[in-house]
Amino acid sequence: MEEKKVILSAKDVEVRFRVRENYLTAIRGVSLDIYDGETFAIVGESGSGKSVFTKTFTGMIDSNGAITGGSIMFEGKDLTKLTTDKDWEGIRGAKISTIFQDPMTSLNPIRTIGSQISEVIEKHQGIPHEEAKAQAIELMEKVGIKDAANRFDEYPFQYSGGMRQRIVIAIALSCHPKILICDEPTTALDVTIQAQIIKLIKDLQKELKFTTIYITHDLGVVANVADRVGVMYAGQIIEYGTAEDVFYNPQHPYTWALLSSLPQLGVKGEDLYFITGTPPSLFNKIQGDAFAPRNPHALKIDFIKEPPMFKVSDTHYAKTWLLDPRAPKLDKPEAIQDLHGKIKRMTDKGGAFHVE
Amino acid sequence: MKKGYIWKRLLRSFLSVFIIMIIVFIMLYSLVPRDNIFFEDATYKKLGGKPDDKREYVMRTWEKLGYLDYETLNDFCAAKYEQGSAEMEAAMENGSKEYYEFIDTFEKKGYTVEYLQLSKKPYAFKDVPLVQRLAKWVSHLLVIDTPWSVQDPNNPDLKRYIKLGTTPTGGLALIGSGTTHKYLIYTDTRFPFLHQNIITLNLGTSYPKFEGMQVLDVIFQSQGTEVKREVTFETGVTQESAINFGSLTYKPTLDRLDQAKFVDHYANYTTNKEQSSMIGTSFIMGIFALILAYGIGLPAGLAMAKNKDGIVDKIGMFYIIFIIAVPSLAYIYLFRYLGTRLFNLPSAFPIKGAGDVRSWILPIISLSLPSISSLMLWTRRYVVDQTNSDYVKFAKAKGLNQKEIFWNHIFKNAIIPIVHGIPSSLAGTITGAIITEAIYSVGGMGKMLPDSIKQYNNTMVVALTFMFATISVLSVLMGDIVLTWVDPRISLSEKEGRS
Ligand SMILES: Nc1ncnc2c1ncn2[C@@H]1O[C@H](COP(=O)(O)OP(=O)(O)O)[C@@H](O)[C@H]1O
Ligand code: SF4
Ligand SMILES: [Mg+2]
Repeated sequence: MEEKKVILSAKDVEVRFRVRENYLTAIRGVSLDIYDGETFAIVGESGSGKSVFTKTFTGMIDSNGAITGGSIMFEGKDLTKLTTDKDWEGIRGAKISTIFQDPMTSLNPIRTIGSQISEVIEKHQGIPHEEAKAQAIELMEKVGIKDAANRFDEYPFQYSGGMRQRIVIAIALSCHPKILICDEPTTALDVTIQAQIIKLIKDLQKELKFTTIYITHDLGVVANVADRVGVMYAGQIIEYGTAEDVFYNPQHPYTWALLSSLPQLGVKGEDLYFITGTPPSLFNKIQGDAFAPRNPHALKIDFIKEPPMFKVSDTHYAKTWLLDPRAPKLDKPEAIQDLHGKIKRMTDKGGAFHVE
Repeated sequence: MKKGYIWKRLLRSFLSVFIIMIIVFIMLYSLVPRDNIFFEDATYKKLGGKPDDKREYVMRTWEKLGYLDYETLNDFCAAKYEQGSAEMEAAMENGSKEYYEFIDTFEKKGYTVEYLQLSKKPYAFKDVPLVQRLAKWVSHLLVIDTPWSVQDPNNPDLKRYIKLGTTPTGGLALIGSGTTHKYLIYTDTRFPFLHQNIITLNLGTSYPKFEGMQVLDVIFQSQGTEVKREVTFETGVTQESAINFGSLTYKPTLDRLDQAKFVDHYANYTTNKEQSSMIGTSFIMGIFALILAYGIGLPAGLAMAKNKDGIVDKIGMFYIIFIIAVPSLAYIYLFRYLGTRLFNLPSAFPIKGAGDVRSWILPIISLSLPSISSLMLWTRRYVVDQTNSDYVKFAKAKGLNQKEIFWNHIFKNAIIPIVHGIPSSLAGTITGAIITEAIYSVGGMGKMLPDSIKQYNNTMVVALTFMFATISVLSVLMGDIVLTWVDPRISLSEKEGRS
C-alpha cells in the first residue's frame, strides 16, 4: 500500500463536560490519523463519544464542555486552539462540513430551501446573490433534486425527509470541503431512502474527492462504504484498522461483542450474542480497562491497569491485554467466525446494506 | 390562503358570538331577578310613597327593556276615544263597559291582569319569551338609514331624497331627507375624517345610568366640557356652539331656538367635548402602553436570551419576578409615587386633564409594566427554545457566525408566536384597564363592565359582551392571518399544503 497523506491528526484528545458541580470526561485521550480521500467509519454504542469526538474538529462542542487536552492538527493549524467564530471562519462549514442525523429538523422551517443553500455560498465564497443562487441550483441538481430551479423557493415542509437530507448534503458540500463528517446521516430515514443517501454520498465523494468521516450504528453500512474503521468505547478508540482488519480479524472483545450482536449475523436457531451490562460512568476515573466489567474474558490485570494500544499489523491496532504475549489464547465467539463470507453475501445482495 | 376558508372562519366566529349572546341573555334575563334592576334607580326611589305610580313606572321600565308587554286601561281607551273627552272619562271609570272589555281582551290573549293597589285600575302584562327577545335584539342590531326611515304623521310633506352637498363646516356630504340622519356620509377634520351614518349598530339604550342614551353613544361620545367655537348655521345665524354637525338627526317638534338655526327638521345633535370617549381614552392609553411594551419587552427579552445566565438576564429576571410576585396595586402605587416625586407628574388623570401629555404618562407606564414583563419572559423563552434547536446547530456547522445565526435564523422563528398575539393585544386595549383606570381616575372602559353589572344595566352588559366577544373572535382570526405572513407553514386552509 502506498504511503498515504494525513489530512487530520488527533493526538491524545480529551474532552470534559461540566454537569452541575461534576465533570464528565467524554473523550479520554483519543489519537487518530485521518488520511486524505479515505472513508473512515466510527462505530460504537450510543454514548461512546462518537459525536463529541468529531465535533472537536469543527469547534461544535456544547458550551458546557471543552477540549482539555491533546491537539488536532489540520492544515498546519491546531484546531484545539481555535475559540471564536472568527478563528473558525474558513474552516467550519467551509473546509470541514458536518451532516447531522435528523434532516427533518436540520433546516430552518421558515426559510426557503434555496436561501439556506445560497446563504452559505455567499458567506464562504463572498460572491453576489445571483451567482450564489445559480451555484445553489446546480448543487441541488447534483444531489438529485429534480426541477431544482422551481423548487428553489420552496420551504422545507414541502420536501420529503430524504429530499431534505439531500439539501443538507448540498449545503455541506457547497464550499467544496476537504472533510465531510456524517453523523448518523441516515438513522432517521427509512431503509430504501437510507440506501439512496449512502450511495449519493459515495458518488459525490468519488467526484469531489473529499475525505469522509462516517459515524454509524450500522455495521452493514460500514462494511459497504468504509476504507478504515475505528471502534469507540467509553470515550476511547479501542480498535482501529482497515475494514478487512476489523471485520475479519477483530482483536478486541468489545469488537467481538459488537460484531456478534448484529442481528443480521445471527445464525438461525442460535441465540443472539448480546453485550451485557452498561458502559461505565464517565464521571468517575476509570481504573484498568473500561470494558472489563462487561467482558466475560476479562483478565486480572484488566481491573488494574489500562491496556496500551497494541500493534496487530501495519494498519491494525487494538487496545486489549489479550494481545500481550503473556495473555492466554482465546477463541472468538461462534457468531463472528467466517464474518468475511457472511458480510460478503450481505453486501453483494445489492449495493447498500439492507436491514430486514 | 384560501378566501373560502376565511369566510368560513368568519361565519364560525359569528356563530360563536351568537352562542355567547344566548348564554348572556339567559343569564341576565332569567337568572338575575328583574326587580334588581331598580336598585340603583333614583326615580324608583323617589316613588317610594306612591305605590300606583311606582307600579306603573316599574311596568313601563320592564316594557322598555323588553322583559314584557305592558297594557293599561288608559292605552286601551285612548285608542278609541279622544284624550280628555267625556267618553274617555267614562271609560276610565272602574266597572265601565271598557273596563270589562279590557280585562276580557287581554285575559283571552294570555296576559296576566292585575290591579293597581290604590286606584284598583286594571293593567295587563305578558312576559316576552327569551328567544323572542334575542331574535328582536338581533333583528334590530343593524339599522340602515333610508329616505323612508322617518314616518312622522305630523309632517306629511317631508321630502324624501338623497343628494350630494356640503356640511356647514364645508365638508363634502351625502345629505338625506326622510332619513334619520341628515348627513349619511360626511367628511370633517376629526379622525377618521370620513364618517358614515347609513349603517348604525343598535345595541339598545342604557338604563338606569345614562338613561335613554344609546349604549354605543355612551361608549363612543366625547366626554368632559363642551368645546365651543364660532359656527354659521344654514339659516345664516352665527353663534358660539359646540354642535357636531355630523350628528344631526330628525326632530319631530322644533322649538323657536331650533327654527332660528335649522332650515329643516334635522335639529337633534350631539356636542363636541374636549375629552375623548371612554373607548377612545382606553384605546389611546392601551396603544401607547402596547408600543411601550413591545418597544421595551421585545428587545429586553432578546437581550436576556442572548445573554442567558449573564448579568442582563439576571436583572431582567429580577424585574419579571418582581412584577409577578408583587401585587399589581402595590407596584402601580410605587411607580405613581416615584413618578410624582421625581418627575412631578400628576398623580391623577383629571388634575391636568386629557389635553396635557403629562396626565397620560404615569397611567401608560403603569399599564405597560406587566406587559413588558410577560413579553420579556416569552421572548426570552422562545429565543432560548429556538437556540437549542437542530437547525441552529446545523447553521453553526454551516459556518455562520453568532450574529448571522441569531438574526437570520433564530429571531424570525422566535417572534412568530409573538406576532401571532399582536392583534389580540390590540383588541384587548379597548376593554380598558380596570385597576390602572381606577387608580388614576381615568374615564375609560375599564370600569364599564363591572359598573354595569353592579348597576344591573343589562343592556350595557349585553352590548359590552357583544362588542368584546366580536372583537376578540375577530382578533384571533386576524392573528391567524398575520401568522400566515410570517410563517410559510401556515396556510389557513382546511388541508395541509403539499408535502
Ligand atoms: N453537553 C453535554 N453535557 C454533558 N455531557 C455530554 C454533553 N454532550 C455529550 N455528553 C456526554 O458525552 C458522552 C458521549 O456523547 P456522544 O458523543 O453524543 O455519544 P455518541 O457516541 O452516541 O455520539 C455521553 O456520555 C454524553 O452523555
Ligand atoms: S484489556 Fe482485558 S478487559 Fe479490556 S478488552 Fe482486553 S481482555 Fe477485555
Ligand atoms: Mg451521536
